[in-house]
Amino acid sequence: MKLSFHEKNGVVVLEPRGKIMGGPDATVLHDKLHDLIAEKKLKVVVNLSDVDWMNSTGLGILISGLTTLRNNQGDLKLASVTDKIQSLLTITKLVTVFEAYDSVDEAITSFGTAARA
Amino acid sequence: MSGASRDSIQLVIPSEPGRIADADEFLETTLRSHGVPEAVVSDMAIAATELVNNAIVHGNKRDATKTVSLTLQFTEKDVVIRVVDQGDGFDPDKVPDPLAQENLLREVGRGIFIARSLMDDVRYERDPGGGMAVIVRKSLNPT
Repeated sequence: MKLSFHEKNGVVVLEPRGKIMGGPDATVLHDKLHDLIAEKKLKVVVNLSDVDWMNSTGLGILISGLTTLRNNQGDLKLASVTDKIQSLLTITKLVTVFEAYDSVDEAITSFGTAARA
Repeated sequence: MSGASRDSIQLVIPSEPGRIADADEFLETTLRSHGVPEAVVSDMAIAATELVNNAIVHGNKRDATKTVSLTLQFTEKDVVIRVVDQGDGFDPDKVPDPLAQENLLREVGRGIFIARSLMDDVRYERDPGGGMAVIVRKSLNPT
């Protein structure tokens, strides 16, 4: 997995690419999420358009980021979720936990109106 | 398992989390070289990395002197993956339900559930050489 990021309108957009399957590779995403929280950057969008697939390790990293951000009055939202990952979110009932948007821009805009953000 | 056995291929790795990617590469390369459809490749890769991760972390307790074996067996109709660790085993029925409301935000505990969801069959047995074996099967012609 490779990870890039940028910031727009006060929202950090993380863009992992490849597979999120565990091992040292996946800690890059986990560490980045927790670095952002330490920097008080609490509005985060994870763009999943270039993630081929993830397993439970990837889901666990997203949950860790989500819960820590919400505990700090922030939020983590998903954008451009692929069919494969959407299927995983559905079977694990995590669709009820994550806010997901069709595009990064929609996810960013949602922070402007969401009470939690 | 249905159909006559055609082919069996094995990878053995030490119990280091960094080797999960090696297991995935081995699996995906082997499946594609046998003409397995992409939808089946990704489902099997997700399930297999769950099982290998469990074998390394829970089975072998990250002891790098212990190994995990990943064996692929092809039949006319399906693919079978057997993941074997050198640990003391576990009771799969005692794994907490990841769909229970109180567990939804847990960061771990979904691996077996996901493997069961993606595969046509999942079973567990003690390996004759010691350790725990998890065997999953997936049809090559998913309906």
